[in-house]
Amino acid sequence: MTAIEAQNLGKWYHRQGIGVPTLLGTLAQWGRRHDTERFWALRGVDFKIERGQTVGVVGPNGSGKSSLLGLVAGTITPSEGTVRATGRISSLLELGAGFHPDLSGRENVFLNAAILGIPRADVRRRFDAIVDFAGLREFIDMPVKHYSSGMYVRLAFAVAVEMDPDILLIDEVLAVGDMAFQMKCLDRIRDFQKRGKTILFVSHALDMVEEFCDEVFLIHDGRLIQRGKPGDVIFSYLRAYMVRLGLLNVEEHGTREVEIRQVRLLDAAGQEAATFFTGQPLIVEVRYQANRPVEKPVFGFNLKTGNGFYVFGSNTQIAKYPIASIAGDGIMRLTIDPLTLMAGRFFLSLSIHSWDHAVQYHRQEDLHPFIVKDASEHKGLFQLNTAWELKPAS
Amino acid sequence: MNPFRAIAPYRDLVANLVGRDLKSRYKGSALGFLWTVLNPLFMAFIYIFFLRLLGGRGMPITMEDIIIGVFAWQFTVQSVNAGLNAFTGNANLVKKVYFPREILPVSIVASALINFLLTVLVQWVLIAFLLWRKGAMLSGWTAALPAVVLYHTLFNLELVLLVSAANVYFRDTSHLVGLFLSAWFFMSPVMYPLSIVDTLSKSWPWLHDLYQLNPLTLIITAYRALQIPGATFPWSTAALVGWLWPLVAGVVIWRVFRRAQRYFSDLL
Repeated sequence: MTAIEAQNLGKWYHRQGIGVPTLLGTLAQWGRRHDTERFWALRGVDFKIERGQTVGVVGPNGSGKSSLLGLVAGTITPSEGTVRATGRISSLLELGAGFHPDLSGRENVFLNAAILGIPRADVRRRFDAIVDFAGLREFIDMPVKHYSSGMYVRLAFAVAVEMDPDILLIDEVLAVGDMAFQMKCLDRIRDFQKRGKTILFVSHALDMVEEFCDEVFLIHDGRLIQRGKPGDVIFSYLRAYMVRLGLLNVEEHGTREVEIRQVRLLDAAGQEAATFFTGQPLIVEVRYQANRPVEKPVFGFNLKTGNGFYVFGSNTQIAKYPIASIAGDGIMRLTIDPLTLMAGRFFLSLSIHSWDHAVQYHRQEDLHPFIVKDASEHKGLFQLNTAWELKPAS
Repeated sequence: MNPFRAIAPYRDLVANLVGRDLKSRYKGSALGFLWTVLNPLFMAFIYIFFLRLLGGRGMPITMEDIIIGVFAWQFTVQSVNAGLNAFTGNANLVKKVYFPREILPVSIVASALINFLLTVLVQWVLIAFLLWRKGAMLSGWTAALPAVVLYHTLFNLELVLLVSAANVYFRDTSHLVGLFLSAWFFMSPVMYPLSIVDTLSKSWPWLHDLYQLNPLTLIITAYRALQIPGATFPWSTAALVGWLWPLVAGVVIWRVFRRAQRYFSDLL
């Protein structure tokens, strides 16, 4: 059964902000043609989402992801085409949108639930579950204006998920709340999936999208560019869009006496990939071209996490792999085996420079993103080789 | 689409929004309710004082007339003023959550209605006292008051649907409405009886008919006719048309509102 169906869905806005529209202003311009350029936030989007599917929506900021969710939720009216959602929708588009600061948490739970269209009797029955989920039992009779932002969000999330919707729309709200609450939210989402609910999920947390979704939509410039398996779509998003569109803080510079022509990240089977597994090899193949013969060049690389934490760096000099000279083109292979990074998103930088670091021939900073997945349940950044040994005293 | 069926599943939301409005109005001020009564009451006292000052004892209006007029007028003004910001003041809600948009105007009018009914209770006490001093009593027709209140409420709802949507499209609506309300106040028999217009319209009979097309004229006059013994309602063709046209207008306004609300979230 189809849960959400869109046909040729589109939404445009006026590009020129008319500011605050006024009657007098409109009358003053009566009869005068004003060409307002249309800006398509979303256009020509066709899709069907079956019940029980979890679909992730990825794309750069301003690509139309939130418009899509608004259209599905019904808060935005399409400019063309149609969108139809079957079943009760609960949207986590903006948490606590209906909260009133002067009212207590208790009163706001009822108000918020009413805005979501939930009968009062249902709320009363689930009230304890909501309060427990939010972990706000002692504060439930306090006006929400005195809540911390975390408490606010927890209450709002609790209301939205306890309402047992058929379709859950989530727009980048899971990033709030502390770690413990986030885990609770994710558990709740898994629970939703088990019960065959449909979830439409917008996030920049790509690893989360990959983990939870059955299918991923890639949206760019208001177009649904690609849909498919999470791994594939996220791969093209990372490689093609984030890098090409300059969305990452990437940098490329150098004299180009030696050029990095092509970089391929290969897995154990020698296949190009974007996702690698802890404990398996990662091979970086750098195709270079020396535009003039260069003595004692140094090839270097480093790895950073998604938030810029410097994980590891090395080069042929440090690794005692001296290169006498290079001329013409060739390939430099860097093998990382086993890959001891844990699950996460990483960025690879590459460089070719002179032996004394005086000349940077070509440096690509953070230009090559990849994802690491870990089959074990270990936590952290690195895989450490560990062994336990129990020695009872008696 | 049946307007009432669309709203029915959201009864709880209306109840909650009304509760939220009343609570935030009365919370934190012990005199909260007293103020909603004292305001129109003071207005009534000021009018009667100046009318007596200007017109002397011969002014053909009583304190009861003015109290009824001012309280009824207050109901409409309160609805319209709150209605102006029904959507512009709840932009976050409208943009982020879907619910039938009529809910907000409906709950604003419902909240104003509750206030009005509370003031009506005070009004009865006051009028009964004023009449008792003259050796009279509230008219038995007072029992028919709910019918007029219902009509008045629907009329206010129409106004609120109109101004709330207009204010989303044109943000200077509130200024225009402010001007309009001032004029309307004097064009309705809030602080003078209908008989003044009768004397004026001796020479221009059409003025009298025109005057009767104003629904508030009819509503206020009906309130007086029902509650004050001896007061009558001047039936005429114009009055009949005056009663009926808002019902037709209501259908049109509701249709326009349904169309207009589709783009609220784009404009807010």
